[in-house]
This record gives sequence, C-alpha cells and structure tokens, in this order.
Amino acid sequence: MSSSKRITKELTDCTTTPPPNISITLPSDSNISLWHITLSAPAESVYYPGKFGIIVQFPLEYPFKPPQITFATRIYHPNITNETNGSICLSLLKTDNWKPSTKIVTVLEAIRQLLVEPQPDDPLETRIAEQYKNERKEFEKEARAYVSKYAKGQVKFNVVDGAGAAGEGQQAGRAS
Amino acid sequence: MYEPDPAAQFIHQVSAGYSLPQTLPEYTFDETPLRLTDRRGRGGGYGGLGGPGAGGAAGRAAAGSLLYSPIFSTPASANNAAVGPASSAAGHFNFHTTSATTASALTSSVPATTHHRSSPPHFAIGKMEPTPEDLVAQEAAAREYQPQLEGPFVGEKTPSTAIANEYAKADPIYIQKTAVLPQTYSHYRPIQGDGNCGWRAIAFGYFETLVNGGNKDQIVAERLRLEGLNSYIETQGGHSSYVYTDFVEETLFLLDRVAALIGNHEQAMAEVYSSFNDPEIANAIMYHFRLLASSYLKGNQGSYAAFVTHEGGVDGYCSSTLERHHVEIDQIGLLLLVNVLLKPVGFVLQVAYLDRSPGSEVNSYRFPEEARNQHPSTLGPMIHLLYRPDHYDLLYPAEPEPIPEPVTVQVHRVSFSPSYDIASAPVPMHSYGINIGALAMLPGFGAPPPGLAPTLLDTSPSPLSAYSPSPTSTWMTSPFAEPPQQASPVSVPPVPVPMSMPIHTAPAVAPAPPLQTHPLRFSEYCQLPEYVENDTWREPSFQTSTFRNSHFNVAHYNNPNFQPEEYRPETEDYDAPQRGSGKKRASV
Repeated sequence: MSSSKRITKELTDCTTTPPPNISITLPSDSNISLWHITLSAPAESVYYPGKFGIIVQFPLEYPFKPPQITFATRIYHPNITNETNGSICLSLLKTDNWKPSTKIVTVLEAIRQLLVEPQPDDPLETRIAEQYKNERKEFEKEARAYVSKYAKGQVKFNVVDGAGAAGEGQQAGRAS
Repeated sequence: MYEPDPAAQFIHQVSAGYSLPQTLPEYTFDETPLRLTDRRGRGGGYGGLGGPGAGGAAGRAAAGSLLYSPIFSTPASANNAAVGPASSAAGHFNFHTTSATTASALTSSVPATTHHRSSPPHFAIGKMEPTPEDLVAQEAAAREYQPQLEGPFVGEKTPSTAIANEYAKADPIYIQKTAVLPQTYSHYRPIQGDGNCGWRAIAFGYFETLVNGGNKDQIVAERLRLEGLNSYIETQGGHSSYVYTDFVEETLFLLDRVAALIGNHEQAMAEVYSSFNDPEIANAIMYHFRLLASSYLKGNQGSYAAFVTHEGGVDGYCSSTLERHHVEIDQIGLLLLVNVLLKPVGFVLQVAYLDRSPGSEVNSYRFPEEARNQHPSTLGPMIHLLYRPDHYDLLYPAEPEPIPEPVTVQVHRVSFSPSYDIASAPVPMHSYGINIGALAMLPGFGAPPPGLAPTLLDTSPSPLSAYSPSPTSTWMTSPFAEPPQQASPVSVPPVPVPMSMPIHTAPAVAPAPPLQTHPLRFSEYCQLPEYVENDTWREPSFQTSTFRNSHFNVAHYNNPNFQPEEYRPETEDYDAPQRGSGKKRASV
C-alpha cells in the first residue's frame, strides 16, 4: 500500500534527523499509521518545560489526505481546543490546504512553532485568543497552570486505537 | 403542511391555460421548504415541456431561474411539482403565460451537468428577485449539495452525441455547438469531476497516445526522460526525493507495463484504463505531473512568473494550486504541463472550449502555441480535450471514413483553425473522383451517395456559420448549410449522422434552393418532439398549388411555424412572387 510506503519514509526521515524537542514512538509495531509524539515545549515558549503528547493518525488516503493530529495532553492555547483531545488549527493541515508533498517534519515544526507563537487571529478557542491579545499576563499565568497540572512527568497517550474514542473515555473518567 | 394559495393556483390555472389536475397537489414541507434535492437525477431536469407534464413544467419554469441549478432538477409530472411555497407563489404571479416565454426561460439555462466539484451550485438571478426564504432554502440546498462523483475516474469512450443530448434543452448556443460537435469529434471519454479532471484527462491522454503510437522505443525513451526529470523536481521544485519517488514510481511502472504490452493494443489500453481507475495509481501519476508542472514553473520563472497572479507569487501559486490534490488545472498549469510533459515527446494538446461565446462551434486552441499556425499534418499526435466551464473531458476526433484520403484528414483538422476558408471545401471533394457538377445536375439528386455522406459530414468544416453558397454544387453544401432538421420522408436515404436530438439530421433533398439558405431558427417548437414529428412543412417537394395554399405550408399564415417566404428573383420561373405574408395567389 502506497500510504504505508510513504509513512515509512516519513518515519525514517523524522528519526534519522529528528527535529529538535520532538521524539517519536510507535505505540504498535504492526500499525505504522499511528504515531505518538512527545513534544518538549521550546524554552522560549510559555509552555516550557511542559511535555506534550501528540497523536498522529495517518488516513488510508495519505498522502492525498492530511494526517489527523491531536494533542493528547491538555494545553491552554488559542489554536488548540481546550480538551483532552485537542484539535489543532493549523492551516497546513486543513483538507483544503493540504499538499501531498508536505513532509511530516514540516508539520511537526509548525506545531512546535505554534507553541512559541500562538496565532490569536485564527483561533479555535476565542476566549483564550482574546485573553492572549488583551491580557497577556493572565494568559501566561493560566497557561503555566495548565502545564504544571497536565504537562509534567511522563507523557500519557490514550492507549486505545481510535484516538477520538479514547479521548472521550478519559474525559468522562476525569469528570466522575 | 403547506396549503397552496388558492388565488395563486387560480391565476396559474387560468392565465397559463394549462390543465392542472382536478385535485390540487398537496404540498408537504419539512423545515426546509425545498424538497427538490432528493429528487435530483430523476425526471427530465428542465424537460417535459409540452408533454403531459406541461403544467408542471411551466410552473417550475415560472418558479424562477433559481431552479436552474442542477440540484433543483425536478420530475416532470405536475403532481410532483415540488416547488417551495415562497417560490411557487412568487412564480405564479410573475410569469407570462405563453409557452414561448417558458421555453425562452428554459433555454437560458445550462444543462444539468453534475461534473463540477470545485464550483458550488450557482443560481442565476435576474428574472425575478428571490425572497429571503428562497435564499435561505438555496443556501441550505447549496450546503447539502454533493457533487455527483459516481462512476469511474476515467470513463469508457462514448459517442459524443451524448453531449449533444445532454445539452438538447439548453441555451441555443450550446445546442448549436454541441450539435455539430459529433461531426468533428465522434467520441468522448468522460472524466470524473473531482477537481483533478484536467490533470487526469491530460495524463490519460498522454498514456493513451503512447499506446496508440505503438512504439516501444518511444515509451522506453519517455520512461528515461521522466526518470531523468526527478532531479529537476528535486533541484528546481525543492522536493525531497522520498516524497516524490512514490508518485514517480507509479508513472514509471505504468510505462513499463504499457511497454511490455505494446504489441497488443487492446491489452495495453486496458492496462492504462484500469490503472487510471485505481485511485492509488492515478493519484500518484497525477501528482507526479503536478510536481513536474510546479517544478517547471519554478525552473522557468523568467517565462512564466509574469502570468502568475497569485498573491503568494510563484511559490504561493505552486503550493496553493499546482501542488494541491483536487485543485483544478488552470491555464498556466495547462501550459506548464504541456511544455514539460507533452512538448518534448512531440504531442500536441488541443482544447475545445464549449462555452456561451458567440459562434456556431466550439473554439479550439492548440498547445504548445507554436502548433497553432502549423498544419496539422506536420504536427505530432494530438490529445483532444473538451473544456466546459470547470471541467475537462477527453475528445476523440471522428475517424475519416472508408476512403483513406489524406485530404480528408486535413480538412477535418484544419476545421478548427479560425482562418480556415470554407470556400475551399469543395476542392478536396473532387479528390473523391466524383464529378460533383454532374451529380448536381441530376434532377432530384438531393444527397451524396450514402457511403460518401458521413465522410463529408464528419469532415465538415463549419456546418452552420460559415455557409457560403456554392454555385456549382448545391447538393454538397446543403448538408452543411442547413442545421440538422427534419429528415425528408420522400428523399434518398437521410444522412446517417447519429444524432438523437429533437432537431434531426440534415435534410437530404433540396431541389428548391430557397429553403436551403434559411438560417438556423431555434423556435421554441423545435425542441418539442411531437412538433418535429409532424413537421412536414419543410418538405419542398410538396410544392403543389394545393399544398402551398394550405396551412400545411410554412408560408401560410395559419401554419404554426409560419415563416414568410423570401422573394427570390431566381426562383421566379416556377414560383410566383408573393403578396403579403405568405398569402399567395395560386401561381400554377
């Protein structure tokens, strides 16, 4: 299958020259289309020294459809939904903008850059975006609080195959 | 539950003069008043005019031009006239009652082509102002609109009369252009409109042309050339080799498979066909070609950058248009692909543009540009595309029939050159070795021999617009001069042009010159089969005095197709000058 060929190459590319602050593991050896990524927040970002789990799921039609990338670790960020399975607003990854020639390294670097420079003008969390623009101090305080609450210690991924179902399960568990 | 306004119904019934069913249709509506979308595909779209469903058809037409979008196709029965409350009420009060108006309203619509992915349904506004409810309903319908993406990515070769049928109820310009299309292009191959169709069509055409060439060396050479372009993709396009190799591989593999099968044309074509209907292979090949085009642009910025209007410049254009799957090829992309893929192997691309520009046939342009002023016989193999706004299909020129005269090929190819002079058409005819002048002198000789006729038609340069009467051979120009019309019942066998449109094939008998030169008149009736079937008025051999003075004569003012005869001095010897509007004294 051509998608797994490409994914293998992407994985090789990512592991031979790993982008800074990023490490990749495969939760299952038999399934190359699900990646677990640990992203250490760059020192210049407000999220330092948090470690964030990111789940990359490659669709069957990859590379003709974009990979689905979600934050497994909660993060207080204008462009990432404030939930266990945070969706990322990254124009690169939108179906309408996706290019089959885009490398995963590029995507991961864009995500890391998003931690350094949130884009409040294209937000997923409007309230956080407003706060980021108008009350930066409050925002930073809240973001650090999230880091110390969720992004410390061992990064946890939801160890169920479907990322979405797993996220909901964990959220329900937290609520109870 | 919606109760139709009785007043509106009344007006509709009385003023339109249509007989509606005794029991008024009951309208039941969900939240969305327009329930038309789930009926799309059934019924005749715009059809049903004049038939048993005339009432319903008129009602729908009256409901405004907003119904012209393909998604609003409705069944043709009056009982099923599922017109939304707002639009139906407005429609009933706003439309004129003659079927002529209805027909003209209908003809301004384009047919229900559902190929286009990239264009959302658009609504022609202008005949009446839609109410806010209409707009809401339209928006809802537009949101739910799913382009029809059924069928294969690349279809089977289909007689191009299907295109003419598709447009049979459309704008006269479309009718005219599609009616003559099969004469030049006998077949077409539908390409799925998923946003890749231009790329897909050219890629398929490239492989098909290679197969048709039957030259294994050429295919091997192409494989080497394309493989060699990898470094170009890397250095100019800036793509990592591991990214593009997967795409390139599929192209090269298919070339290998085709080269191995080259002795067997059928098998080789089947291989190309099945590969292009395998999404993995086809996507990869198309993306390979996209990368070639974008790399070629980046490597030739001096020549092309000026044409790139994208705000992001060449890089922005490449990443937003050329390198994105499902984004249709545009003019620059077409040029780039021709120059990087087709031109080096000597293939020529000719695109026939089917649009509403004035003219009687599609405008065609050749790529590369150098090929435009050259004689087709000096050009390499051609790939023909049919462009309809936002969509490309492949076209196949009509094969010159039995007589393998090189001259016929030339006539056919030249037919799209704008500077072509039709007056020269008779010249190649002589090469058939038939004395045309002698034939023309035969009384009642109305049509060329059956074997010859299709050839003449297929190679007809410009059947509708560029008619110029030829003094020596009236019979020969007659099939071109007149639009396809009613075949004559008493004539020699009608010219077998496969055309199932209501307007029929060329009239074969033409002893009376006056009728031959009538310009094509698209009256509203000519789309109605039952009118056409009874349409014997064009038969000039009925010109007895009894006939001429009856209302069966088109020159008689009681004829529904009344058309005053023109005074022609040269016909005076057997036809008396007419007085008044077709009301003549017997002249015999």
